[in-house]
Amino acid sequence: MASLFVPAKGGAWDIRVVGVFALCVLLFALLQLTPKQYRKYVIQFVTLIAGLYYALEFFWPISHVTGPTKGEAEGNFLTPSMEQISDWLTIIAAFTVGLGVINLSMVHSKRLTKGGNTAFNSLVFFLATLAMVVVGVLKKSHPNSLTSNLYQILFDGALTTLDATMFSIIAFYIVSASYRAFRVRSTEATILLITAVVVMLGQIAVGQALTRGIHSSTLQVLHFEVVRDWILTLANAAAVRAIGFGLGIGGLAVALRIWLGLERGSYFDGQG
Amino acid sequence: MVKLLHTLQTVDRRVLYALLLLSVTLPFMPTFSNIKVPVKISPSTQKLYDTIESIPEDSFIIFGTDWSAGTRGENGAQTEALMRHVMKKKLRFAVLCFDPQAATLTQTMAEKLQKQYGYSEGENWCNWGYRVQEQLFFKALANNIVSTVKADTRGRAIETLPVMRGVTSAKDVKLLVNINPTNSYTYYIQYLQGPYHIPLVFAPTAVMAPEAFNYLDSGQIAGMLNGLTGAIEYEQILNVVGRATKDSNCLSAAHLLIIFLMIMGNIAMLLEKRAAKANAAMHLGGQV
Repeated sequence: MASLFVPAKGGAWDIRVVGVFALCVLLFALLQLTPKQYRKYVIQFVTLIAGLYYALEFFWPISHVTGPTKGEAEGNFLTPSMEQISDWLTIIAAFTVGLGVINLSMVHSKRLTKGGNTAFNSLVFFLATLAMVVVGVLKKSHPNSLTSNLYQILFDGALTTLDATMFSIIAFYIVSASYRAFRVRSTEATILLITAVVVMLGQIAVGQALTRGIHSSTLQVLHFEVVRDWILTLANAAAVRAIGFGLGIGGLAVALRIWLGLERGSYFDGQG
Repeated sequence: MVKLLHTLQTVDRRVLYALLLLSVTLPFMPTFSNIKVPVKISPSTQKLYDTIESIPEDSFIIFGTDWSAGTRGENGAQTEALMRHVMKKKLRFAVLCFDPQAATLTQTMAEKLQKQYGYSEGENWCNWGYRVQEQLFFKALANNIVSTVKADTRGRAIETLPVMRGVTSAKDVKLLVNINPTNSYTYYIQYLQGPYHIPLVFAPTAVMAPEAFNYLDSGQIAGMLNGLTGAIEYEQILNVVGRATKDSNCLSAAHLLIIFLMIMGNIAMLLEKRAAKANAAMHLGGQV
């Protein structure tokens, strides 16, 4: 199996790409042709096998094994296939990007054809996607200063700047919410407000400076940064630990249900 | 009085936005930017510094950055501070990212700092670039780094890079650094720190830090930078004036504004309530 994954070049690469594409089309057609009542079992079977591999690989006793390419590693008889299976899953995960693009294209093409106020935004979506894809591919296929600069403009000038802007807007909402919503209407809210103020003061240089004048060794526990550390490492950590246990047990239960095909919902019942 | 309290209660949100804008921009003016207020080094920051200091020179470490431009204010400053220390300690490192923007943003940062510390890409550091599926990637990486990573972002086979000399599996990695605004640092704990006993140091945003204190307590995280404050503390230990120190006053101003607004909002609410009660009592008295 490992020989299948040796990087190919030239004609061999072209043949493999065409072969994989044909295989994908065939598999897709077969899945579409499968009667709806059986699709559920196909999904359950694939899920069980995929999960079983990782569960067995994790729990099976380990010893020294030789890796598929080079070097020795610790593991069991399933470990050498780990890299290839990781590659498969990476490829499957990459399909979700395609799925996202198709979904977005469907939504925005509908809006574009309908016209109205939102049509312009949909047009921007298509133009931006096209520009990023074309420039990104050109940068890889024809690396030169023009494609590199164009990519830089789109990435640094547009994408990262817009991302930072979107996130920064949250700060304005926080300020507005802190003024309008953070009210001491109950004992719990009062405790929350006091805790928030102390942690915030302990978190900033100016806040720490406010209590720096307290030199007495017994009163140094009143320094904002000391109180902040106490709240974070003791009070907060205990609460987070409890939440973590709950989440862990819940996650395990859900994972087992999905793996064993017991889960009811869109993935299984929807295909039935 | 009641009118004033009512006005305070219903301040136009654009006024609040303008106040925030002023509080985050004014500290960058030369008059204010020269004011330096020191911070006390927190135990988690000190632990992180001590962990990096304990790694022998020329060791190989993984420098994981999983942030995008949205959290650059905190994670960018942390990355810069930690990279300075790593370069100062002459450690070899590979940048590893599970966020598509992080690979480019960290590359830019490393290129900027490398001149200052006599580093060169390929020789002392390399960029493994953007990867997907942390769990699967780490499981494969732990056994064989060369065949899992294959090439750096410039397309060079990593086994040909001098920075990777003697590095084949997780056992050759002496430290894990993760700068991450999400909780995916747990994959580092699950797949690398735990099974291979590689120390992990972590730098989250301030809102994510509370979740990580348990791991710090258990020793699974060897040290942690708590948001931008952590980066400010770190620059103070390193005795450098970097991005974090420059942002310190801005952080203070924004926090003080929020505290001020919270207190003002509550005072206005309480006084208005009292005034309403007094009015009601007066009306009641008049009727009697």
